[in-house]
Amino acid sequence: MNYEVIIGIEIHCELKTKTKMFSGAPVLFGAPANTCVNEIDLGHPGAMPCVNRQAVAMAVQACTALNMEIDPLVRFDRKNYYYSDLPKGFQITQQFHPIGRNGHIEIETEEGTKTIRIERLHMEEDTAKQFHYDVGTLIDFNRAGTPLVEIVSCPDIRSGKEAMAYVEKLRTTLYYLGVSDVKMEEGSMRCDVNISLRPQGSSEFGVKTEIKNLNSISNVQKAVEYEIERQSQILDQGDQVIQETRRFDEATRTTVSMRKKEGAVDYKYFPEPNIFPIRLDEAWIRSLQQAMPEMPEVRQKRYQTLGLPDSDVRLLVANKDLADIYDQVIQHTDNARIAANWVIVELTAALTKRNLKLSENPARPQDVASLVDMIVAGDISGKQAKVLFEEVMEGHDPKQVAEQKGMKQLSDSSALLELINQVLDEQPQSITDYKNGKDRAVGFLVGQVMKKSRGQANPAMTNQLIVQELKKRIG
Amino acid sequence: MEEIKERAYFRKLARQLMFDLSDQEADDIIQEFSTLTRQLQLLEKIDTTGVEPMVYPFEEPTRFLREDEVTQVADREEALGCAPKVRECHILVPKVVK
Amino acid sequence: MATMNELRASMPARQRVEEALNKAKALQPLLNAVVTFVDPQSQLDQLADKPETSMHGVPVVLKDNVCTRGIRTTASSKILDNYVPFYNAHIVDKLQQAGAIVIAKASMDELAMGGTNLTAASGPVYNPYDRSRMAGGSSGGSAALVAAGVVPFAIGSDTGDSVRKPASFCGVLGMKPTYGRISRYGIIPYSSSLDHVGYFTRSALDAAQALKILAGRDDRDMTSSDREVPDYAAALNSDLRGRRVAVLGNVMEAIDNPQVKALFEQSVEALKQRGAEVRVIYLNEDLMKAILPAYYLIANCEATANHSNLDGIRFGVQQPGDSMEEVMIRSRTEGFGSLIRKRFVIGSYGLFVENQEKLFRQAQRVRRLIVEDVTRAMQDFDILIAPASGDVAPKLDDDSRDQLSDGVLIAENHMIIGNFTGWPSCTVPMGMIDGLPVGLNMTSHAWDEQSLFDFAAAMEEITGLRDAVAEVK
Repeated sequence: MNYEVIIGIEIHCELKTKTKMFSGAPVLFGAPANTCVNEIDLGHPGAMPCVNRQAVAMAVQACTALNMEIDPLVRFDRKNYYYSDLPKGFQITQQFHPIGRNGHIEIETEEGTKTIRIERLHMEEDTAKQFHYDVGTLIDFNRAGTPLVEIVSCPDIRSGKEAMAYVEKLRTTLYYLGVSDVKMEEGSMRCDVNISLRPQGSSEFGVKTEIKNLNSISNVQKAVEYEIERQSQILDQGDQVIQETRRFDEATRTTVSMRKKEGAVDYKYFPEPNIFPIRLDEAWIRSLQQAMPEMPEVRQKRYQTLGLPDSDVRLLVANKDLADIYDQVIQHTDNARIAANWVIVELTAALTKRNLKLSENPARPQDVASLVDMIVAGDISGKQAKVLFEEVMEGHDPKQVAEQKGMKQLSDSSALLELINQVLDEQPQSITDYKNGKDRAVGFLVGQVMKKSRGQANPAMTNQLIVQELKKRIG
Repeated sequence: MEEIKERAYFRKLARQLMFDLSDQEADDIIQEFSTLTRQLQLLEKIDTTGVEPMVYPFEEPTRFLREDEVTQVADREEALGCAPKVRECHILVPKVVK
Repeated sequence: MATMNELRASMPARQRVEEALNKAKALQPLLNAVVTFVDPQSQLDQLADKPETSMHGVPVVLKDNVCTRGIRTTASSKILDNYVPFYNAHIVDKLQQAGAIVIAKASMDELAMGGTNLTAASGPVYNPYDRSRMAGGSSGGSAALVAAGVVPFAIGSDTGDSVRKPASFCGVLGMKPTYGRISRYGIIPYSSSLDHVGYFTRSALDAAQALKILAGRDDRDMTSSDREVPDYAAALNSDLRGRRVAVLGNVMEAIDNPQVKALFEQSVEALKQRGAEVRVIYLNEDLMKAILPAYYLIANCEATANHSNLDGIRFGVQQPGDSMEEVMIRSRTEGFGSLIRKRFVIGSYGLFVENQEKLFRQAQRVRRLIVEDVTRAMQDFDILIAPASGDVAPKLDDDSRDQLSDGVLIAENHMIIGNFTGWPSCTVPMGMIDGLPVGLNMTSHAWDEQSLFDFAAAMEEITGLRDAVAEVK
């Protein structure tokens, strides 16, 4: 039977603030356990929440990037449940009035561009981190209270590929905004997928399962595809899909049941009485929107206009930090295409060789740019360029180094012609060979010219000029 | 509020709130519910059509937001000092089965 | 006895603190008002650096729901029996900056959820005027210690009438300022939208001076106000000419005790003689009767969430168990009294999705109607007055009252209006009935605490009950 796949995705992202959502304790990844906490994060009696301006600012920017309507009256609610990682016994969230509503993003699919609607974006706080050992569960409250945004898509996604594209697009967007590290492996971005199947043409939704524990983008696709297959088989056999929470098991590349959902849990949401509604200043919202960095789709268009090949555009847009370096380089050169090639291929290889991160890149953008210009102008040979790039990676100016080392490429045609005619005069046999159709004579002559120029002759030009002169001589 | 509730209902409700009720306590609640039910009739009697729930005593929105600067960090020894069970600078509970 | 200023003039700080502590300890077997005595030594040592305020070197008491760094804070609940906070409530810092010396943490109804002070983990607090009677609650320990002359000032908290009712039963001034006037940061909550920090004194001047010290914006409590704090004491004026007083007629009609009525009428007469313009007003009777159920729901619904943090894991008393769940369940079962657990069940019931609309939200809607009704009725008045209670302090074992009678529904619960509206409200003694005090309650418009202090000063002059102290027998 043919089924229509209905997928909705909930994404939680930790915001990159200095302090917690509701407390002035620091947010630090990897700090010693329980050193980034205060009475608020530990849910001590009498502590009260106080909303972080920067978290709200980041949420506003995220809403803007996701084309959402922003509610300028910020309100919070309590979500009540008991768990050892939830210090207060409730989570402060925005159930009734999310800061963002009715957004959308576009993803690329095989059938072209597709719009995925986003239902809501709301702010909330993270839970503590638990480590399970035989002796018991150890709890570190450093993460408790870290600001989160939860982004809930409409059920517009239809396949594993689309699911992956959606998550990737959100990830890139939030990364571009600089509001989150969006590292799925480290948990700063978490993804829950709701998935159900229904017979093609049916208007009722089928029973859905929720998949958790997706710690990489590629696992999103794998998990969804497995789950589609699993549910199809169940339905094909005439059985019922059980409403449950499943997790993706990386080893077996399957989804495994975690717990059944026995009716909906009643979280007894009600408005948080300790936080009066906060009216955001319209001018502040506008200034936040104006201060937003370039978004991926804008960068993509800009690179296309520069004439970069599609593969380079994709690669750069997906790697914001690399693209940021590239943007600095092209401030110093007009040779955008060649520059892209050098940044994407040579720079990354050189960094890898040195075991450096992009953020530790020692090459100055203007040096990379002058190297590119020298190559395009034919001032240096390709071989020389590679040698010079190593110098650039040491923070040296390639022009200076080239001069010091006498690494100039001979590209002056009159000087080259003089050398070429000297060689031709010395090698009459080669002219005869050429006349008799032995093309390799040209290669021999190029070699002779290179020798005479001590390697500085521009090989391409030399080749071209030799052929031109040979033709003249054989008349 | 209809009077259909029994011991088991309230004990289950208590469990959701992470505590137990004795039989006596559950019976007390059943009894109190009948008083409460009559008091709540006084509440239900009020016509609140078109009235918004009042969540806060004052409803003028505020504008204050906290600057994103570290202000309060507890000393770890003090923070953990309040906890009944601590192991390796973590708060310890019996193994949680997720 | 002595008010704050008189006390400061009478003897050196160390001596008056020592005397207060000695008296508190001597009275403890009689009143049972203290949960924890505080060693004042380090506070006294730092006193020299503190500014000369009206509280400099004055011994004070805090209700035991006020978090005190390094000092046990139990909120009179077993589950917090061993809780020693690592942070101070905002008002503790304020009081200590002003040079006040905390000598004790006072008993209260468990988690402030009561009006009798019979539910404290440490047992009932006895009324200083008659130890067979209640001190009232939930701030009963604080009220009793001020009434008994142990300290001239004590902090309380007021969610329904938890400062103003015990003030009436113990014959002291009980003040609940406007919601947001004093930061609640560090006060173990009951119901956040109704909770107020309040306090007890034995004089209007002390009350006026104290608010200047306690009030003001605290960024850690987002509901605290940044309005300027006036110098109430400097502006204190007991001249009532031209002041417009509304008597809450509904309450008068609901009161059965003729002596209370007579005392109140005498007070009204006296206020008139001093130039106040008095008129009787009536609020919608159905709304008046709905105050208690609306309050009960709002308070318990919020409380069940507010106290979800009490699970014995990060602080407090933990009971053993084989699983996280069992630890929580046993800690909470053992840690909370019966009454508290029953209230949580009711609060939770009111929050269920299927009930929330007709219970919690209905209560919040009725709250709005009550606030609107009061606001309308008070348009042309400065102050609303009524007896704080229909009677003197009840006997400890008194459970005779019909919970649905007007005497209970209206006469004993009208002060909740001050919590619904957030308006400032204050109880002062209006006289004695057979040796037992009865209070007059006064409520003014939001932020107009000054009127309350002015009327309190006038009442002191009328009754002569300024600085009245019970002789505990």
